Amino acid sequence: MGSIDRMAPTRFRASFAEPGLLLEAVKRLKADGYHVIDTYTPFPVHGMDEAMGLKPSRLPRACLAFGLLGLAIALGVQIWTSAYDYPLIVGGKPLVALPAFVPVSFELTVLMAGLGVVATLFVVSGMRPKFKVPDLHPGVNDDRFVVAAEIRAGASYAELQAMLAGLGALDTELLTVDRLEKDSSLLDREATPLAFILSFIPAVLVLMALPLLNRDYLQRNITWDGGMMVPVAYQSFDPHPSLPGGQVLQTPPKGTVPRNGLVPLPYGPGQAEAERAGRELKNPLLPTQDHFSRGKLVYERSCAACHGKDGDNNSSVIVAKGLLAPAVLVAPVVKNMPDGRIFHVATFGGPQKMKGLGDLISREDRWKVVLYIRELQKAAAPKPLPASAPAPGPGVQP
Amino acid sequence: MKSSQMFTVPSRDLTKPLYPTLAEIGEKFRVAAWTLSGLGVLMLAIGLATNPAHAWANVLTTAFNLACVGLGGLFLLAIQSTTGARWSDPILKAHRAMPALLPIAGLMMLTLWLGADHIYPWAGPEAHADHVLKGRLIWLNRPFFFGRILLFFGLWILLGRRLVERGKGSAVFILVFGVTFVLANFDWIMSLEPAWNSTIFAIYGFSGMFLQGIAIVTISAIVLRRVGLLPAISKAQNHDLGKLLFAFSCFWAYIWLSQFLLIWYANIPEETAPIRLMLHSSWTPLFYLNLVLNFGLPFVMLLQRKAKTNESVLMVACFIVLTGHWLDLYLMVLPPVLKGAAPAFGASEAGGILLQFGLGHMACWPVFMKNVDPAQELPQGG
Repeated sequence: MGSIDRMAPTRFRASFAEPGLLLEAVKRLKADGYHVIDTYTPFPVHGMDEAMGLKPSRLPRACLAFGLLGLAIALGVQIWTSAYDYPLIVGGKPLVALPAFVPVSFELTVLMAGLGVVATLFVVSGMRPKFKVPDLHPGVNDDRFVVAAEIRAGASYAELQAMLAGLGALDTELLTVDRLEKDSSLLDREATPLAFILSFIPAVLVLMALPLLNRDYLQRNITWDGGMMVPVAYQSFDPHPSLPGGQVLQTPPKGTVPRNGLVPLPYGPGQAEAERAGRELKNPLLPTQDHFSRGKLVYERSCAACHGKDGDNNSSVIVAKGLLAPAVLVAPVVKNMPDGRIFHVATFGGPQKMKGLGDLISREDRWKVVLYIRELQKAAAPKPLPASAPAPGPGVQP
Repeated sequence: MKSSQMFTVPSRDLTKPLYPTLAEIGEKFRVAAWTLSGLGVLMLAIGLATNPAHAWANVLTTAFNLACVGLGGLFLLAIQSTTGARWSDPILKAHRAMPALLPIAGLMMLTLWLGADHIYPWAGPEAHADHVLKGRLIWLNRPFFFGRILLFFGLWILLGRRLVERGKGSAVFILVFGVTFVLANFDWIMSLEPAWNSTIFAIYGFSGMFLQGIAIVTISAIVLRRVGLLPAISKAQNHDLGKLLFAFSCFWAYIWLSQFLLIWYANIPEETAPIRLMLHSSWTPLFYLNLVLNFGLPFVMLLQRKAKTNESVLMVACFIVLTGHWLDLYLMVLPPVLKGAAPAFGASEAGGILLQFGLGHMACWPVFMKNVDPAQELPQGG
């Protein structure tokens, strides 16, 4: 290439008034063995691609690749957002509800294919500001149809001129190489299968990157919009200027039921209610090892201070101080009580001094404490009461 | 050119042309068309004797499909005429012949008078007690219904004749067609299942109709080129026809999804019932086959430019689309008539299909021949 004399008139152009004449001229030049460099026309001429021997454009491949990229992005982001990052059931449909994804996928496929193929065209054909267009004939933007070709070795320009005039050429002109020089263009390069395969990489990359996006914004502290993460709404314990008590959190209305699956306990305090609970309630929990150990823990934290570690008042703090005499849990009186009765006492308190612990110990834990008390009673039963031990008086009712 | 190709000995008789002439084809088809029509009528008669509801549903499918063929051609012609397109006339010949089917389709629609109570729930005496139908009997009653059929076909035939013969009134036709075709779809097909409503239904019917029309004119263009009557048609024209077919196949799918998506989203029981039947019964394979034939296969086949310019591929795609459109109509008509029963193919279906081919040929061929008179000088396409 370097040895070419750039100023030598080795090329020529001819202009025609009709697209049909140009088409015939190009066919004739090709048939005669001339290398047709390019044609310049005000509008696309049908059949010119075939006449010039141009290979079919490779742009459709770029179009396909960009379309698939759009499809991958659309489907990927929709599935990721609606099924992984923020799973939210809408209208009773599945999380990955493909019919709902079709419109966005379609639009993005078309958008990416359209924009992508135009961008590809601009890049591979080297179009950019100051793109150098060969200025061969002022008429190519108006009413002239121009062909540029290389003079065949050994051909005479005069004969060529006569031949072209016979084909209807209005004028012919010799050209130097640099008149025709274009910016180097990717279009001139040979297509490789590798390039075709490589063009699918963006779509694949997008699909591969999506799992990486499945992350917890707060934990990783990578967020671009913190305002979305911290709610603007009042916090429970914030002061509030106009609410009763000057605080956001209000006492729930009477009869409010907790939302964690507990149903209200249909019993009130009092002896009659305690008897009823004894008749109606059964321990819903089985005496498993787990329930037993939890019951033991709760008993030793909340009950042992008064009732003693073994339920026999021996290690009771208040008994040692001589303040009160709580019920002896391992005594036959308590032993003969039904589970529901003990549960009622634990919830609402005893007939004498004991306060109910219903709002301190969860319902499940109270039943576990009942289980544990039963175990204490079993452990204490074989031992006959020592004669020296003080007999439980009438005041030690539960 | 490869060297081996240069010396192949032609195996055919060189004194005869490669393809038969159009007149020869027509002669061959004439007997076939009468046979097919006769067989079709016979089959439909057998169907009527054994299972009248099934047979009348097939009469409706056939009549509607024939009307669609006629309207497809007419609408294509009207568009070309309104836009002043000149590229189409040398290539697309069939669209002037297709409207010849409209009188036959109209007559077939009118025969439904005899079988309306078999397929239309509003035609039976129990409709007066039905809470959905009671109020609609003002619109859906026999005299008015069949009066509308007469009116629609009358308008289409009159305006169509004016358009085909004198090339006038295309804009008026498009306006009239827009209103009447919507009403025809609502009347003839949607009233089969009165509880089911879809406002996009007529557009859906139109998309299928137009797709089928393009397939038919494409087939005719390819056949004409094969017999040597369209020397001007080249790869570029095939490419254009392929693009049209591809585009309207996508359009059909677009409208199909538009209808399906809203029903699927809204989840209103009376709307979802027919779709549920389609998705969870022995109709399901046909339901998906419909999508594959009308959209899936044409899309995949015609995506490449190479395929769009290949006549054989185009031809196959066109026939797939024709099959698809018949199935599409079949799936609109039969499930409501069979009231959720499993699909059954019998004499009625065969009769309907045979009749379509037979009547289609008998009605259109003479007009088609007149249009493509070989002696007539064909304008050369650009």
